[in-house]
Amino acid sequence: MKFQQIDEYAARLRPETKASVHSGSKAGHEKRTKVLFDHFIDPDRLRRIAGDIKQHVVENLDTYLPAVEAKLRANGVHVHWAATAEAANEAVYSILQARGAKRMVKAKTMVSEETELGHFLEKRGVECVETDLGEFIVQIDGDHPSHIVKPIIHKNRREIATSFERHGLGAYNDDPETITRRARVHLRHKYLEADVGLTGANFVVAESGRIVLVTNEGNSRFCLAATKCHIAMVGIEKILPRDRDLGLLLNLLARSGTGQQLTVYTEFISGPRGPAQPDGPEEMHVVFVDNGRTDVLASECRDILRCIRCGACLNVCPVYRQASGHAYRSVYPGPVGAVLSPLLAGERFPAMADLPKASSLCGACNEVCPVNIPIPDLLLRLREKGKREGSDAAAAGTPAMGGWAVMASQPFAWKAALAGGRIMNVLPTKYVPVAALQAWQSRRTLPTWRGGTFRSWLHDRRKQQSQAGSAAPRN
Amino acid sequence: MSNDREAILGRVRQALAPLPTRAAAPDWERELVVMRHARGAVDAPALFAERLRLVNGTPIASVEELVALFVSSGWRRGYCDPALAARLRPAFPAEIVFETEFDRTRVDDYPFGITAAVGAIAETGTVILNDAATSRRLAALAPWVHVAVVPRRSIHVDLPEAVAALGGDPNIIWCTGPSKTADVEGILIEGVHGPGVQIALLVD
Amino acid sequence: MRVGFRSVGGCGPLGQQKPSRRAIGLRVCSAGLRFATAPMLNHDRPPLTERRVQLMATCLCDAFYDDVARATVEVLEHLGVAVEFPEGQTCCGQPAFNGGDWAASRKVVRHAVKTFAGSVPVIVPSGSCAAMMFHGAPLEFEREADLPEVEALGRRTWELADYLVNGLGLTSWPGRYDARIAFHRSCHSRGTATGEAAQRLLESIPGVTVLPFGEGEQCCGFGGTFSVSFPTISSAMGSLKLEHIRAVQPDALVSVDMSCLMHLGGLADKEGRPIRILHLAQVLRDALRQGGLLG
Repeated sequence: MKFQQIDEYAARLRPETKASVHSGSKAGHEKRTKVLFDHFIDPDRLRRIAGDIKQHVVENLDTYLPAVEAKLRANGVHVHWAATAEAANEAVYSILQARGAKRMVKAKTMVSEETELGHFLEKRGVECVETDLGEFIVQIDGDHPSHIVKPIIHKNRREIATSFERHGLGAYNDDPETITRRARVHLRHKYLEADVGLTGANFVVAESGRIVLVTNEGNSRFCLAATKCHIAMVGIEKILPRDRDLGLLLNLLARSGTGQQLTVYTEFISGPRGPAQPDGPEEMHVVFVDNGRTDVLASECRDILRCIRCGACLNVCPVYRQASGHAYRSVYPGPVGAVLSPLLAGERFPAMADLPKASSLCGACNEVCPVNIPIPDLLLRLREKGKREGSDAAAAGTPAMGGWAVMASQPFAWKAALAGGRIMNVLPTKYVPVAALQAWQSRRTLPTWRGGTFRSWLHDRRKQQSQAGSAAPRN
Repeated sequence: MSNDREAILGRVRQALAPLPTRAAAPDWERELVVMRHARGAVDAPALFAERLRLVNGTPIASVEELVALFVSSGWRRGYCDPALAARLRPAFPAEIVFETEFDRTRVDDYPFGITAAVGAIAETGTVILNDAATSRRLAALAPWVHVAVVPRRSIHVDLPEAVAALGGDPNIIWCTGPSKTADVEGILIEGVHGPGVQIALLVD
Repeated sequence: MRVGFRSVGGCGPLGQQKPSRRAIGLRVCSAGLRFATAPMLNHDRPPLTERRVQLMATCLCDAFYDDVARATVEVLEHLGVAVEFPEGQTCCGQPAFNGGDWAASRKVVRHAVKTFAGSVPVIVPSGSCAAMMFHGAPLEFEREADLPEVEALGRRTWELADYLVNGLGLTSWPGRYDARIAFHRSCHSRGTATGEAAQRLLESIPGVTVLPFGEGEQCCGFGGTFSVSFPTISSAMGSLKLEHIRAVQPDALVSVDMSCLMHLGGLADKEGRPIRILHLAQVLRDALRQGGLLG
């Protein structure tokens, strides 16, 4: 009997990994709840308005994109456009080639994971070093991040220490402070030797042309203090309308993602270095990346483009906690990924259409989303799409409902089924060849079938009530 | 590349064409993001110091206090913005060495870096740096100890005020405490790529 | 074509003033939170004019939990509410809806629209079925010509506790029921007044202690067909919830949704450590009985 892939992944997941993911997620969620409700009287109102601001941007991207481009150019920033992952990688590479650059340091950006920029550049002889500690560890391990904010939530210190030793970063030592100091020393020299620094952008403001980076480690600062050229890869949906909207979104982002009031570094970058500043880039480039976002925009799930990549939905999701990020087989896991990843897959949607099924539709994700994305509704829409397109991945383990629908629209058939179901009480149901029933009973008992009992009770009650001389209920 | 631009913008227009109307941008009042405990009159420097301590930063109210901290911590050499050195140097004992140039080939030779801040945010304990005020980006970033010299009158109360004051500097950085990570098992470690000690010296 | 209102006023992208209407069902609920891309019609109910209702018993009660439907009738009639039971009723259509087979689901919803014709409130002892009527059904009928009829039914549909507290205006419940109760707020009560209403009623019953337990916001793992297509994850979620519940040693686990209780109860049973599961309606009815208030 075939079940869903994500369920099978969860069944095989190592208990240690599940424990790491669970405790990391739970801590993130609890911190978020505490800080939002301690600090604000009505945090849900903040989320609602932030959601409306981002929805406004999504629905007006045709105006905002050219406006942002004009502003960036006026600030002395080179603007590039990349329709596909390949185009994005080529755009970055062409900037490197123009500078004869061979070494790049990069801060964390999920867009570069989508395009697999690192592999692309390495194949062309460019050293591309991840500088975010978690991403650095992922890189030396040849692994993939499993959370959009906490990339190594699935690893413990022993695994990291082993990786460091294997990579020549010193004898085995699993003390977190030692691990961090070793990374500091190693990467410091990488920054200073690099030609180019690559970042993403959490926001790009249309009014001023600023890009905003939100980090804790100081790695993006170092990329921009040590190198002579800055490239920012930015999804086309990352726009905010006005500078003042940062006053709301920045109040929500860190609190939602990590329970911090602000991350340690919030950088507002609107061009290459200032005239009197010796350190920093002489030139700045922004690469706007589509890579399937216009498909999402054209769908009925465009609301997902509001996402500001905080990770709050991952932290609260009970399915994410059981399965872990890698179960989602894509760059974006968890609730946001269950909507975004199948849509970004374009023609490959049917192969990814099981992701929206990996949810009990509990709605906790929507409750914590700083931009109020109605994720459960979007999951439902994608389930309908998966069914309509005949996705096998989506259909696995799902009972066919055609016959049930006929029975449930014919009272005679329904009542017959209510009566007939009594056989379940005597039949050894282990042998009933109904997949759903077997799946249920592998973990749970079935209650006693009592089809028709309520109706006959009510029938008798009404008879008694009318015999007692009143058709209306007594009090 | 320009093909990609036209392709993307064309697809965006096509995607949005079926919408009968477009969602408007809501107005929102600053009141919305005022924190519970910041309502009413605020002593900005005092709030700033309190919030900075909460993120393990070090607020310092006088040059004398700064000197005492340097001496007790054993910080004996480092970088200082030449414009600030004239003012600060006299207060420090001779054995503490101030270099007024930052040599990036000796990046780990500067245990401390002293640079000018252009402002601060009270409700978060944030120090604001930018390119115009910071003599060397690396000097504010690479040393283990960073001292940001903050004029008291430049302390904003809250985020909306600080955002309104951003201005056009190309590289504005809000620093809220020492650099940190919790990537290893969620355990907080301070001092990653940036400073492990973030000091804010409040001056008039 | 439906017309819904977005936030009034505001600016267009380049600062121009724009009116704001959308024709695809985006509605800011009066309770504030816009939960969904389809409206939450529980915030848009017509006023109640008489104590007469139709009962939607739910397919689970029809098949397994007759006493819950029975208790619902007894509770409503005790309050002087006239209860009609349209015999042709079957199911709310949710199982097919959740699985993506909207054509099959719509067939069943259409049957419900016919069966529950009328204008009186439809009361259902299930947060999940109620939410299907006032939210799920409007979503799958977005492009259908009979959307108005489906919405009209959604507007009239009340989960039981919500009806008792916010429809009939009850602030407390009489009688007696001596028990330590763990109350599970089922996920479909998100965005509704059901959770609050049920908790309030329970806490007001003399003898009842409602015990908070850990990670209350986490789903029990039922999720409809999710329970059979993701059995590992579904049962792991349920076991985790049982652990939290058992830690407070309740006499009974109570909810407004038999689906959650069937799942948690079935898991506990299979483990060989059964727990007592009760629907809110059963507690309310039993409190009346033990208080000598039920004729």
